[in-house]
Amino acid sequence: MATNDPMPQKSLGDKLQSFPKSALYLALFVLVTIPLFFPVTLPNKPIEASIDFYAQMMKLPEGSKVLIASDWTNSTRGESMGQMEALLRIIMRKKIKFVVYTIADPQSPQVARDTIRKVSDEEVKAGGKAYEPFKDYVILGYFPNGEGTSAAINNKFLSICDGKKDYPLNSPPRDVMQSPVLQGVKSVADFKFLIVVTASNSSTVVLERVTKVPKMFMVTGVMVPETTTYYAAGQLMGLCGGVKGVYDLETLMQEGLNVPGPKEVTSEKYSEKIPGFPGMPPNGNGKGARYYPSLHFALFLLILVVIIGNLGMILSKKKAS
Amino acid sequence: MELFAQVAPKTFWNAPNSSTELLVKIFIGLAIGVALFFGLMAAPTQVRKPVLFTTTFVSGLFYVVFWLFPQPINRQPDDAPRNAMEGFSFWISDSQAVIADVTNIVAAFLIGLGIYSLLKVHAGRLVKQQKDWGFSAVLLVSMLAMVIFGYGDFIMRLDPANSKMAGSGYVGWTFWQFGKDLLFNGLLQNMDAAMFSIVAFYILSAAYRAFRARSIEATILLVTALIVMLSLMGLIEFYWGSSVDGLHLSNNFKLTNIAAWLGKNIQTPALRGIDFGVGIGLMAMGLRIWLSLEKTGGTS
Repeated sequence: MATNDPMPQKSLGDKLQSFPKSALYLALFVLVTIPLFFPVTLPNKPIEASIDFYAQMMKLPEGSKVLIASDWTNSTRGESMGQMEALLRIIMRKKIKFVVYTIADPQSPQVARDTIRKVSDEEVKAGGKAYEPFKDYVILGYFPNGEGTSAAINNKFLSICDGKKDYPLNSPPRDVMQSPVLQGVKSVADFKFLIVVTASNSSTVVLERVTKVPKMFMVTGVMVPETTTYYAAGQLMGLCGGVKGVYDLETLMQEGLNVPGPKEVTSEKYSEKIPGFPGMPPNGNGKGARYYPSLHFALFLLILVVIIGNLGMILSKKKAS
Repeated sequence: MELFAQVAPKTFWNAPNSSTELLVKIFIGLAIGVALFFGLMAAPTQVRKPVLFTTTFVSGLFYVVFWLFPQPINRQPDDAPRNAMEGFSFWISDSQAVIADVTNIVAAFLIGLGIYSLLKVHAGRLVKQQKDWGFSAVLLVSMLAMVIFGYGDFIMRLDPANSKMAGSGYVGWTFWQFGKDLLFNGLLQNMDAAMFSIVAFYILSAAYRAFRARSIEATILLVTALIVMLSLMGLIEFYWGSSVDGLHLSNNFKLTNIAAWLGKNIQTPALRGIDFGVGIGLMAMGLRIWLSLEKTGGTS
């Protein structure tokens, strides 16, 4: 039965607690998108875990070899691609050879291949050296059983290379065992580091099974708390987490560590100067620098709406009592 | 440089890539596997159960022994075992790589099983014109297109004449490479990223509605989360840090230092406790599956 009762007026507290979803979504969309079109440079203080990652990589002598588990796809490219690019820039400038494999997703090898090619092209444009498949790096592909493969990597690394082919330039696909990258490699211990770039639990799968080589992880933001457990215990030599980690690495590549300057980055843990690559790509315009303001504004909005919601709750409680 | 120095010696269990010998061996292995699969399906339950229990137990036993039995340390290629115990240790160590290959093959078949299942469900829906059959048609067409272009690209790259494709840019690319690039990088990868980015909207909405200081515990959690989030905001951290910079004591109140303290002294120990509990639970579940005591989720 219809009545003529007026609609009850919402109190301020109730109004503050009942913003429509669409308004929240629109606010987030606008705040996250604007910084992508109008870049702003935000101040940054790299954290200890990122500094460790940078310092360990920069200390590697030229010609060293590292093993990379590229366990990410474009679903997390906002974080993982920036991490991979920052890692590859250091690797290419230090002339480090590397082997890539994945245990997470069948798409990962192709995504890694594309990213390596893109960074190599950018390095050439900046006056660096092109990284050639097979000669400078080898991609072993996807291994569906991560647990067994990780155990095999630790136990008998070359067994996972058996029968694998890669695509060298200007010659047919060849057995990876013939690649200069794998010459002299008998065990996983012959690599300086195992670096896991991941957006899944492949990090723990590796950590539990691969013990013969020092490890460093590049993980997404949501994985940072769980991964910090291992970093704090000293099981990881360095950790790059989320967009903040990418921005940290880019800042360090630009400013160096303990190098005097207007934006000097210092660390009590490292007494020596570890210069970066000033003026080289991404030259303050990497994925970290570009996405960090978006993260910044998204966090600002998150904090704001949480405060507004709680304020509304307090006002409603006061009115009710 | 001896480029073939590390190629594994030829045995019955391997064969050169793309050789007829390898293809024949793969076919024989596949035929044996399919025969075993259907044989097991046709067998009565009282025969099938012991076979499954034994297979599960033996498979699990290998890794239990592998992890618990002492492994050779710093073993050199020409090392020989000095007694039966060392012989067994060497055998276990050598076998693991083979077992890893087998598990990779089994896991790859699981992907095949998933594809078969998808095809069966969606082809059935399409043929019977059931509700939302259009989505099934899109899925099947997309799957087919990706397979065709992916395989076309793969076949072309095997040809030595097309080796320039491995370089940068679009050098030497043909219709197949552009098609695959459009489908993989142009569509799939972007849809993948777009799908994942939607999570941010749900997080914001959920935090607004649920993150309330309704109790002391919730308030502590809220304040802690706010400090950690603020520490990730470079601008806030920079100005806050500048305002408390100077004395050693006040340095402790920098946002990054407070967040680091929370991480090291509260978050990490709590996570270790949770991980420890999860580990024990996993061990119990693993034992139940290994000993075939776990009945749920199976054929029963």
